[in-house]
Amino acid sequence: MMDTILLLALNGLIWGLIIALIALGLSIIFGLLDIINVAHGDFFMVGTVLTWYVLQETGLFWPAFILVPVIGFVLGALIQRSIIQPIRNAAALSIVATFGLSLILQELVRMIFGATPRRILPPIQGTIPIFGIEYEIYRILAAALSVAALIAFFLFLQYTKIGTWMRAVRHDRETAIAMGIPAQRIFILTFGIGFALAAFGGVVAAPITTVDFRGGVDLLPFCFMAVIIGGLGNLPGTAAAAILLALLEGVIQSFADPTVARISSLVLMSAVLMLRPQGLFRGLAK
Amino acid sequence: MAKKQTRRSFLKTALAGGVAAGTANLTLMRDLYAQASGPIVIGHHCDLTGVISSWGYWHDKAAKAAVEIINQGGGIAGRRVELATEDTESNPASGARKLRNLIERSNAEFVVGSVHSGVMLSAIPIASELKTIYFSTGEATEATGAKGTRYSFRTGTDTYSIAAASMPWCVENFGKVWSIIYADYAWGQSTNQESKHFIEKAGGKTLASIPVPLDTKDFVPYLAQIPPETEVLLPAFIGSLSVAFYTQAKTMGLDKKMKMFSSSASIESIAPDDIQGAAEGVYFFENFPRMLKAKDDEYHREFIKRVGIDDVHAREVGSQRVMDKSHGWQAWEDIFAIKQAIEASGYKTRKDVEGVIKALEGMEMKNSIGHPQGDKLIRKEDHCGIIDCYISRVEGGKLEVKKRIPKEELAKNMPLRHNLSQLPV
Repeated sequence: MMDTILLLALNGLIWGLIIALIALGLSIIFGLLDIINVAHGDFFMVGTVLTWYVLQETGLFWPAFILVPVIGFVLGALIQRSIIQPIRNAAALSIVATFGLSLILQELVRMIFGATPRRILPPIQGTIPIFGIEYEIYRILAAALSVAALIAFFLFLQYTKIGTWMRAVRHDRETAIAMGIPAQRIFILTFGIGFALAAFGGVVAAPITTVDFRGGVDLLPFCFMAVIIGGLGNLPGTAAAAILLALLEGVIQSFADPTVARISSLVLMSAVLMLRPQGLFRGLAK
Repeated sequence: MAKKQTRRSFLKTALAGGVAAGTANLTLMRDLYAQASGPIVIGHHCDLTGVISSWGYWHDKAAKAAVEIINQGGGIAGRRVELATEDTESNPASGARKLRNLIERSNAEFVVGSVHSGVMLSAIPIASELKTIYFSTGEATEATGAKGTRYSFRTGTDTYSIAAASMPWCVENFGKVWSIIYADYAWGQSTNQESKHFIEKAGGKTLASIPVPLDTKDFVPYLAQIPPETEVLLPAFIGSLSVAFYTQAKTMGLDKKMKMFSSSASIESIAPDDIQGAAEGVYFFENFPRMLKAKDDEYHREFIKRVGIDDVHAREVGSQRVMDKSHGWQAWEDIFAIKQAIEASGYKTRKDVEGVIKALEGMEMKNSIGHPQGDKLIRKEDHCGIIDCYISRVEGGKLEVKKRIPKEELAKNMPLRHNLSQLPV
């Protein structure tokens, strides 16, 4: 029993790190642009599909870790300019606009890539015995890559000029503009980074899950829970909440039905909304 | 103040009324005539978009090919066939709305139904209310069982017939200690229930039944629940869940510890080659073998040619798409079944639908271009298809047939549980 608890806790932690990447993208888009991005799961899905194409074209998996986030960034920037920018002063429209975007992305991928799910082999194969089962080595690499990406993102946000501008615009948009910060460029950049983070999550997760045109649909509710529990727009809080949620579900799944584990997450989210609407990790916000 | 009636105004009104009544009568007569001798409209409730669209594509293609053959041969009872297709979006709510469109606006007189169990189950009450025959192509047994009506039929297999056909052989040959891991919705639950029953009936036992939520990405928490004493694992997933399951189960070396057997639905529209060997060694139930050589005759060959697939993987010629061959044939054959029943009953208009129902109940269909899957019977009482079935194994990326279960054996293993033929029309 103890082995199962430890295994599922470890697995939850690893999965949580991947989810944290995706939820972080959702959170920066909301925090800076006030956009509730219903298409964010599809950004992840596009990441998995692009990974599949990179693998097909080059025969190599590793280039996807660079190419896919770059393509994701460009796509994100284009989407911000063409879809989000025109409705920037009517945030309520963002749900409708991004829902439409979600349908467009899914149907485009279905048309081009097809409706049949595909499998990608991990770049590192093999297993190691952990807590009574053969555990995939790639998952440990995936967790390490996710940690590296999270650290890189927070370092970028903390120590670069653009990162400082992003934080400034999020903190006080009018003052930042008055100080000469090019807010419009920051908006484009932020949306691009949000897409790139989700796409990077897609690259990391593709060999674990599948490549499928609806692959992002089921991921979105979990990411939203992480954003709400972590605190809307609170980036470190979001990452911490994603890890906490996945860990919590992992531990509960070791002795109860997985549905009970998901109900527990929803109960936690409801409790946070009622008792601490600013999020569980307010202290982490800067 | 009332207008005074004059002889002139009276004549004018009478004349106008007479013309209107005459025109209306002509219109009614024309409609009646059209229904009795114009084209017969067959509706196709098809999952063209959404989660099961990789299957819907083939149902659409098969239905169109069948209608083309029928029209080239003179139609149904001398009447041309028109196919009206509505996309269910693989969604029960949309599917219900689209079925009403098909019947009430497109005037579909018979409907070839959805392969999505949720859509199909939501459609049957509507089809029955509108007195329209609905052929289910999905596998949830309720469509011709507890939720069946006089109007619901199927030519293919369901979770009940799949378990009845396969479990006696599987328990005898694979092992007696089973576990089931299934997608937690109508089809998966039905598969779990029926398989468990037939495993026990065959002298085996089920150690664990593990439901997996549909939004699952990571299978480790569920795979960790499979008891290590399990000899045979029955996974019941479709589409991306299925690929994710085989991928992760293979990685964890589950295929080395236990045998796996699953329904054709788990590998439909997927070539084993395309998932990099994740399903290698797994046994699958099939009802229309993917490889031509397992049923090599002129009708199977013509079917393959008409739908444009190869004879090994059922892959579309010139593309990467793979047919859901153990389901997609029903969209083709159901139209031929409707043709046979219409011609046998002398159906002219909707009011003759009871005759078609009676013709379908107990109807035998011969291996032919209309029924390339093989000889079959729609059992009178429960409206189920009684057909030959197969158990295949993925070997070298191909589904090799290991066992053929004749339709007579299926009928013997599958006692009647419902008598739909006694329900009112």
